[in-house]
Amino acid sequence: MSLIGYYTRKTYTICKEEVLVLPGRVAVGVFFLTVLLLPLFSQSPYLLRVMVLSSIFAIFAASWDLLSGFTGQMNFGHALFFGVGAYSTALLNIHAHLPPWASIPLGALAAVITGLVVGIPCLRLRGTYLALTTLAFPIIVLGIVFAIPDVTGGELGLSGLSRLTGTRLWDYYLTVIVMLAVCSIMWKIANSNTGIIFHAIREDEVAVRASGINTTRYKLMAFCLSGFFAGISGGLYAHFMRIAGPSTLEVSMSFTVVIWAVFGGIVTIYGPVGAVFILFPLLEFLRFWPEYRTLAFAIVILLILLYMPEGLFPYLRDKIETECPRCKIRNVATRKTCRICTAPLE
Amino acid sequence: MSADFLRVEGLAKDFGGLRAVSGVSFSMGRREVIGLIGPNGAGKTTLLRLITGILRPDLGTINFKGISISGRKTWDIVNMGIACTFQNMRPFRRLPIIANVMVSCLSPRAMKRGEWVKKIEAKAMDALEFAGISDMALEKASTLSQGDLKRLEVARAIATEPELLLLDEPFGGLSPAETELMAKSIKRLHKGGRFGRLHSEGPAMIIVEHKLQQLMKIVDRIIVLDFGTIIADGTPEDVVNNPQVIKAYLGQGGL
Repeated sequence: MSLIGYYTRKTYTICKEEVLVLPGRVAVGVFFLTVLLLPLFSQSPYLLRVMVLSSIFAIFAASWDLLSGFTGQMNFGHALFFGVGAYSTALLNIHAHLPPWASIPLGALAAVITGLVVGIPCLRLRGTYLALTTLAFPIIVLGIVFAIPDVTGGELGLSGLSRLTGTRLWDYYLTVIVMLAVCSIMWKIANSNTGIIFHAIREDEVAVRASGINTTRYKLMAFCLSGFFAGISGGLYAHFMRIAGPSTLEVSMSFTVVIWAVFGGIVTIYGPVGAVFILFPLLEFLRFWPEYRTLAFAIVILLILLYMPEGLFPYLRDKIETECPRCKIRNVATRKTCRICTAPLE
Repeated sequence: MSADFLRVEGLAKDFGGLRAVSGVSFSMGRREVIGLIGPNGAGKTTLLRLITGILRPDLGTINFKGISISGRKTWDIVNMGIACTFQNMRPFRRLPIIANVMVSCLSPRAMKRGEWVKKIEAKAMDALEFAGISDMALEKASTLSQGDLKRLEVARAIATEPELLLLDEPFGGLSPAETELMAKSIKRLHKGGRFGRLHSEGPAMIIVEHKLQQLMKIVDRIIVLDFGTIIADGTPEDVVNNPQVIKAYLGQGGL
């Protein structure tokens, strides 16, 4: 009992001193609680389906941010990892009869290998050339999918995968918990020493080499990590939808993930995640006006990018928090002095 | 120490039709400090870039401590003990200054030499302390002045604890007071010793510089390049009195 009491007090202290002091952290905490407690208020199958798909695409968008936002390897063919993850998972499930807990990680490993295959020829490319080259890969794989319909199911894709779990509610909890865990891991990587090197590669690759860092290794690592996480989202998608079709590899899929990330704010991880939880349900909501759906969606995105060029969430964060000019610690915007060094915050 | 600490033989590099470095050969000792001078476009920066592996030589060999480093990757060369700074500073502008130095501290060489250092940040801070910009450690590199950027370049280079340091115009764009300070730092570094968690073994140095009066106080020897070839190599006194150097670079006014 004393141990429980100790951890309760410790959790309370962390919440009080680390989370409640910054509105941005409180917002993340509220998001965690909301997605975990949502089924207590509604178990509408439609709502749960939208939230499950949002969770899956949130992982996908964050994985793009890790590669293109942090490391600067502009990937316009990110659907490749999603599609390879989905198809590999489907093949393993249908032909090898592997359950989802085995087929999804193995599908993600297939996406890692794809990351290496894409990463190696892209090592010498940057900017527009890299973007165009990466764009070509999912189109090539899509051609392969159509060329061997006996294996891939051709235009119809592979259907009849086993369900993710037994019920829609457990599907929801599984995907949400995986999403929260995977996105937290990506955020942790982005803020680690490896993340600093990713940042630096985006800024100036030659200078990173001159600092003694093997940039080839780190760029390939970024491709593989991003491929792994996107592969997990592809595997979850295949099991949840019970189909892996050519739509997972389409160009529109690759561009949608860029729109999500730019809308939410790149080089943040939390930005693309938040953006998916706004834009995906919004697109569903706009089904009430099917003829204006795409137009309204485009207007929302254009307005956000016009007034918040760094993305929605960095903009909101800067509105509710300020950075101390002396110690660079973030504070609530209403504070007059820094909570750590007491310097005036203007 | 032998004069074969660094041996460059018959080095050549072409850019299209332009021969930037042509048949350059020289060698240097472990504790030597060499000044590399010459008119703009003489091939000084190209020579440094060839040594650090940023550029690949078309002809010739470079041996460092008896091992050929020609054609090796830059990071391999840095991890063997050669570090460089850039003439046109290349900071990671959107990263805090301390993170700029942490990148160097995360190189295999720095990690191996500082295994006992628990926190990378602390080692990076010591490099900044040495360079005299530790009070700005948390600022973004984009906010730094020209002089502070030069110091940041030096901090990044010394964080790998090199045995050979290549400095490309370390006094460029600095005020006389800043130049004096930088010259002192270079001398202190060359002397060697421990600076917090950093250990300087007193690296050999090749310094490219146009401010000759300051340079002459630091270097043991000067190499003069013109049109990619060495036109003089000797003590500072010999070089400034060399008629060929006066004609190609110094002019009749001398220093």
